[in-house]
Parts: sequence; structure tokens; C-alpha cells
Amino acid sequence: MPGQENRSVFTSERIGLLIALAILSFVPLYIKDRAIVELIILANIYAVYVASWDILCGYTGQVNFGHALFVGGGAYAAGLLNFYFKVPPWLTIFIGGGVAALFGLIIGTPCLRLRGPYFALATFAAAAVPYGLTDVYWEITGGLDGLYGISPIWPTLTGKYYFSLLLTVLCCGMVYAGGRSNKGLILKSIREDEIGAMASGINTTRYKLVAFVVSGFFAGVAGAFYSHNQLHVGPETLSVNLSVLVMIMSVVGGIGTITGPICGAYLLTIFNEMLREWEELRLLIYTATVVLMLIFVPKGIVPALSEGILRLTGKRKGG
Amino acid sequence: METILEVVELTKYFGGLCAVRNVSFALNQGEMLGVIGPNGAGKTTLFNLLTGFLKPSGGKIIFKGESLVGLKPYTIVNKGIARTFQIVRPFHQLTGLENVVISCLSQRGAAQANQGAEEKAWKFLESVGLSGKESMLAKDLPHGDLKRLELARALATEPELLLLDEPFAGLGLKEISSLSPLIQKLSREGHSIIIIEHKLRELMKLVKRVVTLHFGEKIADGTPEELSRNEKVVEAYLGKGGRTFATI
Repeated sequence: MPGQENRSVFTSERIGLLIALAILSFVPLYIKDRAIVELIILANIYAVYVASWDILCGYTGQVNFGHALFVGGGAYAAGLLNFYFKVPPWLTIFIGGGVAALFGLIIGTPCLRLRGPYFALATFAAAAVPYGLTDVYWEITGGLDGLYGISPIWPTLTGKYYFSLLLTVLCCGMVYAGGRSNKGLILKSIREDEIGAMASGINTTRYKLVAFVVSGFFAGVAGAFYSHNQLHVGPETLSVNLSVLVMIMSVVGGIGTITGPICGAYLLTIFNEMLREWEELRLLIYTATVVLMLIFVPKGIVPALSEGILRLTGKRKGG
Repeated sequence: METILEVVELTKYFGGLCAVRNVSFALNQGEMLGVIGPNGAGKTTLFNLLTGFLKPSGGKIIFKGESLVGLKPYTIVNKGIARTFQIVRPFHQLTGLENVVISCLSQRGAAQANQGAEEKAWKFLESVGLSGKESMLAKDLPHGDLKRLELARALATEPELLLLDEPFAGLGLKEISSLSPLIQKLSREGHSIIIIEHKLRELMKLVKRVVTLHFGEKIADGTPEELSRNEKVVEAYLGKGGRTFATI
């Protein structure tokens, strides 16, 4: 029965999440290589980037090509406040989230009048403008070099790691819970058919705008954390490359599932690092792998795994 | 009997084309009205105007004494008008139950609920004969069931006025004969209903009054018997020289 299928996938998903969390909790205790711990911290941050992208794009179907606007907005808000006004990191992280949420509201309001490629282009352009502004106002932002000397979030690597994990669990957990709540169901209905959702009495514009703001907030929080993690804030946090990377991670993991993009974030961050051994071929191998995955696992890793589990447990026959 | 809906000289232009021209009619509380007309007569445009999916070029739409012109579709739903679509619009990747839960979460659906959204959605699925299929994804449901699901979704918004756009389209005789009593039951329960339908025999068994549109204009408004003798209606369907409406 399909209802059993859903429960089975849901249970498997939760078990998978708990195992992943357990493994991540032990990373700094058993891995002494500083570079690997730093890498997992980066993956934790990317996990929040992609989860926040997915709640807007995967759930409502509004493909945001400018997610870096939220990440960079949070990163610069935190970086500038800390650098110039010595605002403590625990506060700048929240302010970073707030600033990015405000960006979500400001950009979302006009952008949501647009559809399809026009919406995508508008979000793309919205992120490109602040990227350029960082260079225009280089005396404040540090220009293309950015600002160095941002305060660390925690003095020790282990402390920083657990802080990043806590932040990831909180942010991704809230996005995950939201996605599986009735509000998440409404967002999915908008993705499926906005006219149908309106005919069901749903104020689709309001929900999409809320998704924009929520997406912005969590991306901003992660972006702010990133600047304190790197002790630096620079225009790479606003770059198109970052927006595209977030989308690739999400698609590879399985958009519209929250867990899929998170899975994609960890896998691709680690995979990219592993390829450093073949630096000259890194981009080629990385791109080829992503393209092959898109061809052979178009729904993404997590949905494919879910279907595999259903087949193995005999709850779905055939295709 | 109290008038629930009043349409006054409703007009809609698409560029130079007039899809609906000065259409006026009123609907009483609890009445079931049929709307017929050949393809392109403006029937679905009329529904789109009534439900806010299109803005009228002129005229008034008064629902329970309040103008609906300029309101968003979801606001109109929350005022008590729900619709189904000629071509069904299910949320394909959601289950039957989830499809109906969405409507239960609308402002009106939630406000009138004295139980949880899921529980309420179950009730509506059951009422349209879809119990046992609540966990199936909408994309896996057959066409007849999708028509019922569409009806359940509309009902879950707790409407006072129900607009059914070709509920029998694509259905076989057996499916129609099981859906017709359901629509009759809704009418008996006090819903005001407007039905657009091309299957005239089935429609005439349901309604006591029919409005006929042709090239966007209302050409007749009366009982099925009156319409069957109306020359304009016969001509609209059969062309000049058409003799009997019963042959349609």
C-alpha cells in the first residue's frame, strides 16, 4: 500500500539522518587531521546553504539562481559589523540571517510577479548587483580581496566544529520540519500547480514570499557563520559560482526533499576535496561526474535510494 | 428565495475579441443552474471571471451582496465560491489525501473545521467515494477518480456556491451515473451549484434551469423544456434548419 511506502521511506530517512548525525558527532574525536575537520565544517555550512535553497526552490518550484545574494548578504552583514563595530559573532550570525531575510523580502516581492526563466534571470541579476557593489565600495568592503581579521566564532577547532554542527542541525532541522509540516505541503502544492493551489483557497504569493524570507534567513545565518569561520569576508560569497554550486548539490542530492540536497552538499564537498590530488583534472572529473549523475540518477541520490529501499523491502513492485 | 449570486452585464474582452458580452443572470440560494453553449461560447471564461482568474472588462459580480470584481482567486474561495476545472488540475506528486488537505488548510476550510485537516480531508474523500485511495499519488489515479478528487478538493473549502466545469467530461456512462447522484446530493445538502456541461442529456436530468451562451452572449435562460423549443438555442447547436434539440 502506498501509505506504507511513505512511512517506510520516512522511517528510513530518519534512521539515515540519525546515523549521519552520530557519525558527524564523532568527527573531531577520531579525526586528528585539521584539514579534514575544516572540510567537514565547510560541508556543514554548505548543508545549510542547500537546505535553505531547497525550501524555496525544491518546494515551491521557484528556481532561484541568486542564492548567493542571501549567503553573501549574511556574510557581509556579519563581517562588516564585526570588523568595524566589533559586534560579537553570536550576534552577527543572527543579524546576518535577518539581513538576508530582509533581502529575501525586498527581492522576493518584485521577483514573484515573474515566472519561469524571467524569475530565474531576475534572481540572477539581483545577486550580481551587490557583487559589483563590493568593488565599487572597496574602501568599506575591501573590494575583491575582501576584509581579513573577522573574529573567530570559537577559539578551538573542536569548539568551532561542534558549533557548526549545532548550527547545521538547528537550521536544517527547522527547514526539514517546516518542509514536512502542513506549510510545507502547501508549498509543494504551489510547485505542483499554482492555479490549483489558488483554487484551493491558498494565498500562493504570501507563501512564496514567506519561503523567500525563510530561505534567505537560513542562508544568511550560514553565510555569517562562514565569514567567522574563514576569518574573512569576500565577494566569493556573492558569486554566481556559489549559486550554481548550491544548485548542483541540490539537484545531485534530489531537490524538494531537504535531505537530498544536504546529502549532495556533503558528498560533493568531500568529492571535490578528494580530487585535489589530480588538480589539473579536477574540474573535468567533477563536471563529468555531476553530468553522469544527472543523466543516470536524474531524480537525485536520496529519491533513488528511497526507491531502492522500497524495492528491497518489497513494498513496491517493478518500476 | 434569497439571491446568492448576481451577475450584471458581465463583459470580457481579449484584445479585440469579446469572449463574454453583457451576460446577466442571478442564482438563488440552493439552486442548481446549468450553463451550456457550443465550444467557444464563453462558458469557461465566465467561470474564470466569477472565480477571479480573469478580471472582467465590465459589469458586476455580486456574491451575497458583496462585489467580487478585482478580488484574487483565493479570496473568492475564502468568501465561499469553489470551482472545479474542465481539465483536472490535481497535485500529481501528492497523495489523494494531501490533495484535499490543502483545501482544508485554506482560510475558510480551516476556519470552518472543528477537527484536524487530515481528519476532515478523509471525510471529504469518503463523501466523493474515494475512500481506500487516499494514499495513492494523484498521478496514479484514473480520470474518473481525478474528477471526484477535484470535487473533494472544492468541497473541502466549505463553499456555499460550487462551480463545476464539465464534471462529466471524459467519463463513461457508468461513471456519469455514479457521479450524478453525488451532485444531486450536494444540491440537496444546500449547496448552490452552477454546472457547465456538454453532455446535455445528463445535465438536463440534474438542473431545472439552464443559461445558454453563444459567442459570449446569453441567448436563453429557462427550463430544459423551454430551451429545447428555443430556436436560438437549436440554431446555436445545430445551425440553421436544425429541428429538434433532442437530437443533440
